[in-house]
Amino acid sequence: MSEKQGKMGVKTSKRYVAYAILIAFLLLLPWLSLGGAYFIHVCILIFTYVIATSSLRTIFVSGQASIGHAAFMGIGAYTSALLSTKLGWTPWVTILLGAITAMVVAVLSGYLFSRLRAIYFSMVTAFFGVAFEALMRSGGEFTGGKAGMVALPGMGVIDLPGLGEINFATSKIPYYYLLLFLTLFTLIVLYRIERSRSGMNWMAIAQSPLVASSIGISETKFRILAFAVGCFFGGLAGSVYPHYSSVLSPGSFSLMPSINLVIFLLFGGTRFFAGPVIGVIVLMAIPEVFRSLKQYAPYIVGGIMLLVTFWMPQGLAGLFESAKPWIFKMFGKGANPVRKEFSNGMRK
Amino acid sequence: MEIFTQTVVNGIVLSSIYILVALGFALIFSVMQILNFAHGTIYMAGAYVCYYLASSFGLPPWAAILISAVVLALFGVFLERFGFRYLENDFNRTLMFSLVIIVFLQTTADITVGPYVKRVPSVLHGVTTVAGITLSKERLITCVITVCLLLAVTFLIRKTALGRQMLAVAQDGDAASLQGINVHRVAAFALGLSSALAAVAGGLMGSIIMLNTYMGDAMLLRAITLVIIAGIGSLGGLFVSGLIVGFVDAVLPIFIGGSGSAVVAFSFAILILVIRPQGLFGHEI
Repeated sequence: MSEKQGKMGVKTSKRYVAYAILIAFLLLLPWLSLGGAYFIHVCILIFTYVIATSSLRTIFVSGQASIGHAAFMGIGAYTSALLSTKLGWTPWVTILLGAITAMVVAVLSGYLFSRLRAIYFSMVTAFFGVAFEALMRSGGEFTGGKAGMVALPGMGVIDLPGLGEINFATSKIPYYYLLLFLTLFTLIVLYRIERSRSGMNWMAIAQSPLVASSIGISETKFRILAFAVGCFFGGLAGSVYPHYSSVLSPGSFSLMPSINLVIFLLFGGTRFFAGPVIGVIVLMAIPEVFRSLKQYAPYIVGGIMLLVTFWMPQGLAGLFESAKPWIFKMFGKGANPVRKEFSNGMRK
Repeated sequence: MEIFTQTVVNGIVLSSIYILVALGFALIFSVMQILNFAHGTIYMAGAYVCYYLASSFGLPPWAAILISAVVLALFGVFLERFGFRYLENDFNRTLMFSLVIIVFLQTTADITVGPYVKRVPSVLHGVTTVAGITLSKERLITCVITVCLLLAVTFLIRKTALGRQMLAVAQDGDAASLQGINVHRVAAFALGLSSALAAVAGGLMGSIIMLNTYMGDAMLLRAITLVIIAGIGSLGGLFVSGLIVGFVDAVLPIFIGGSGSAVVAFSFAILILVIRPQGLFGHEI
């Protein structure tokens, strides 16, 4: 037992070293001169989608397949944009308020929707999404109507102690670091919550709501909790982006953007925490890699999605997991001892 | 008076096309237990095939609509045989697969026909005067065709052996297969039939509105709205909910604009789902 714990300790510390290297790499990435400003732009998009998709996964983990997540990003985005333009508040405050508004709306709507399970929950969230988009379109002067809002204020110039003045207006790199920080923060918080008692309760509810409530887990309470947590970070992702791009259009929060998030998630795999991260990076990279194919590029995306649908029911992250024994076998270490004994027995 | 009658005619045209699309969506949902998000895109593909046949080969519109219905029906059967059959009604995987269909069809439509403004030629041109009221012939013929089709499909489902098999599979797939019904074949037929209906709806709608590759999204939402208001498993209820939503879409934009009427229709659907998930005419879920 003690030996096993010792091994686990080594493994964990190795893992921390790997994470440290990864974070150091991400910190240095803007200075490696890979494609310039456009590359930074793609990275910022990837970070935004990683936050949004990981938060969507939290909702999926509790057995709620929401297909209106872009609407909660939209609630964050519109709240933040309206507060910063109409009242002139600094985006640093309004971003947080946007995320909180998304969470409050999620608690209220989650309470209403908590009666509905499975496919009915999916449909009601889809309708919530399109109703939100139509509402923003018909908002007239206040929300900018169909055209959306333009000339939103950026993050401005801030004075950090020790780092000097950081000007968000002149380059994209400060936004890169802001999004990197928010992404890491989101991933850590979501991971901790998922590995806590609440996370276990979510998984129990997803497996069987009846059994879960029979052992004293309040289905309504924990489903609303998952929805609120997911939508808070969804709103966070949504409220930062318009200040970076300085424009906002209602079309970015309708049904198809929501479904895109679900694609990212299912592509990466819902069962694994790394699923959304892998899904977003791969699916965002494909169009960039196959840029030369021009209008034929979506065929590549579709083809790879087809592969995932039929041959990787657990998504791309699931592929890594199931390929692990083979990889270990190939490099001759950590091979499954049970399987070894079994094969020896067969030979005799 | 002129505006009033035209609004009524528009309402009936919209309702009948909505019902045509929603009937297919509901059929797939009851028989195969999947939410086919690609249904709206198949409707779009129907309109594009129609446009392509009419503009490139100079076919008369009615022949183009007929051929596009046959093409899309075969496509639907193909999708069941080589796609949905292997996905075992798993929500995540069928959702993925229908999104793959959307990607492929939209990209193909963009590449082959292109994004410029286009319209399917209508079956009949000109106007006619009935009891002193001027009506456009294309709207009237659209109504007539869709009503005939709806009657034919209702007859097919309620009275023929194949239709009864579909109803049996919709009630309980396992029990149906114990009775010797080939569930997969019935599912393939249902998907083919619903795709053909969507294609006809696309061809007819294509002569009323301008085509674009995203026209399926709005129609998909309308189809889901209809199914929710009617209640899943209620084919008769679709006609009532179709008339409600069709008239909402024909009347409200005059007063509060297109997006405003969308807010009303979608909020109504949310309300129905929250208060009465089985719909107005559906059975308990």
